[in-house]
Amino acid sequence: MTAILKHALCALYPRTDFFPGLADMDLDRFLHRFRRDGSAMLLLGMYAGLVLFVLTPVLTVYVPLPSFLLPRSLLDRHASRAATFPLYPLRSLILVLKLVAGLCWGAHPRVREQLGLPPLPADPLEWRST
Amino acid sequence: MSHVSYRQESHSGETDYVVVGSGAGGAVAAVELARGGAHVTLVEAGAWRDPEHYPYSVYGALHHLFDDWGSLVARGRAMWPIVQGRCVGGTTVINSAICVRTPEDIFAQWQREHGVSGLRDAVLGHQEELERELCATPVPPQSAGRANQLALVGANQLGYESHVITRYVKGCAGTGQCLQGCRGRKKQSLNITFVRELDERGGDILSCAPVDRILLEGRRAVGVSGRFRDPSSRRRGGKFLIRARRGVLVAASVTRSPLLLARSGVALPALGKFFRAHPGTGVFGVYDEVVDMNVGATQGWASTAFRSEPGLKLETLSLPPEMVASRLSGGGTELVSKLREYRHLAMWVAAVRAESVGEVRSGLLGQPVVRYALDRADMERLRHGLVLVARTHFAAGAKRILPGVYGLPYSLGPDEVKLLEQGPLDPRAYVAVISHLFGGCVMGSDPARSVVDDHGRVHGHTGLVVCDASVIPTNLGVNPQHTIMGLARTFARRLLGA
Repeated sequence: MTAILKHALCALYPRTDFFPGLADMDLDRFLHRFRRDGSAMLLLGMYAGLVLFVLTPVLTVYVPLPSFLLPRSLLDRHASRAATFPLYPLRSLILVLKLVAGLCWGAHPRVREQLGLPPLPADPLEWRST
Repeated sequence: MSHVSYRQESHSGETDYVVVGSGAGGAVAAVELARGGAHVTLVEAGAWRDPEHYPYSVYGALHHLFDDWGSLVARGRAMWPIVQGRCVGGTTVINSAICVRTPEDIFAQWQREHGVSGLRDAVLGHQEELERELCATPVPPQSAGRANQLALVGANQLGYESHVITRYVKGCAGTGQCLQGCRGRKKQSLNITFVRELDERGGDILSCAPVDRILLEGRRAVGVSGRFRDPSSRRRGGKFLIRARRGVLVAASVTRSPLLLARSGVALPALGKFFRAHPGTGVFGVYDEVVDMNVGATQGWASTAFRSEPGLKLETLSLPPEMVASRLSGGGTELVSKLREYRHLAMWVAAVRAESVGEVRSGLLGQPVVRYALDRADMERLRHGLVLVARTHFAAGAKRILPGVYGLPYSLGPDEVKLLEQGPLDPRAYVAVISHLFGGCVMGSDPARSVVDDHGRVHGHTGLVVCDASVIPTNLGVNPQHTIMGLARTFARRLLGA
């Protein structure tokens, strides 16, 4: 399941000439954290979005294959079309996938550097316990 | 004992007043009661984080400061998220601290439509005090940031009223971190002001302590009970029970106060009804110059020129890259390529003073379920608001706008705004957020159509007061924090004088 999830997230944020892609980041660590911390609704949305992302190339690029079997160029087209698909449930669940992936991608030091932003220090985990 | 956080052991205590919730309503009421000589116990579901413990990342903010990651969605034709805080200080920790006095027409409307009178002088008087106490000041020019400056230029070019926002901020450093909590302690969120004062005055504070029930003896509220919950692992801890000699004040938020009352046995026909909000969405302007919207006040400019007709508020809102990444349309290489423009983007928002009404109910697991859909008239307002924002961008020098509306081109030029004017009225075409929530325990003189009276007292009960945005019976058309605080202080003073 993790490999398929990583496939979908990386397809939404691939590497370009200017930016690193999610595949260049420590996605395993991020997903481990997110599975532990994420709200039930967001996790549910993410997995529902994943199922739709994998199963809908037939609707977006007209190829009856799961997304993880698509060649790279078709996968990129599928990622773009799934995110703007006319069916609202598909479009909105892909938005959840994009949101989750964006939390990892947008906080990465190399992405921030390219955007002229300083790297983010690690989040403090403390709160007032007494 | 002053502060008790998550623990495995059970905890009990006794006090004059229990206040449930430490946001704009709860913290203000709690400190007011303490100033009046009462012993107060403030009970908050979220954790108590000092500014040095605020997260840096959006991930951390959503996890540690927002209610359920901001993942509660209103169920209607479209599913739009409802954004609230869940930490000591409540939403004041994660908002832009915008300070707007309750408009005069609102008091008249409350009297006319809901039989609520006698609040105007008290609320406005308290708001004047609060402005002094919380250092309400306009965003200073050196902290405005380019995105806010451009908005002012655009509005001036178009000739409509707009202004630099007044906020409860002392010496803004323009770090653009309002929505993740101000680590520089410039924003006067209530965790670092009134909650701290309550602590110094000898009040008790329970954090990580969601209240399950208000204890009722007959029709009299005598305390609250619940169970501690670890804010990270969500593991349940020991039980707590706080008995209140004089009363219980509920300020658990629009989505949670009605549910808490209902769970506790309050049965009024209007409970959970008359939910209202200011749904909003934004338009990016793309500029030749570097805007760096993440530099400067997160929200530094607004216009209320359209508050009465057609019913809109326009304002700036800077977004961090994590959020912009998901806000732009598309996916794959196309999406990532679009993000190269981030430094040239400015996001301005239209929030609708919506007439549509929804309701808050309890879900199967006791979680809040909000049913709320915008009607056609409200969607026309939203679309009109986006057109105004688009025109303002172009007047300020934007080369293109990114409307973010499904069915429209990704990018529109100055001559293509008519496409936005004719844009869809289906809410599913828009990616919007619902903030500024009202109702669920609305004020009124008629117990058949309201939950509390003009003292915030729950109809038919003794010692039970609601003092958060859930009592507000109408849409304000302006940011609600000042009104919530003014009402909470009014109710607390009346309680002390009773």
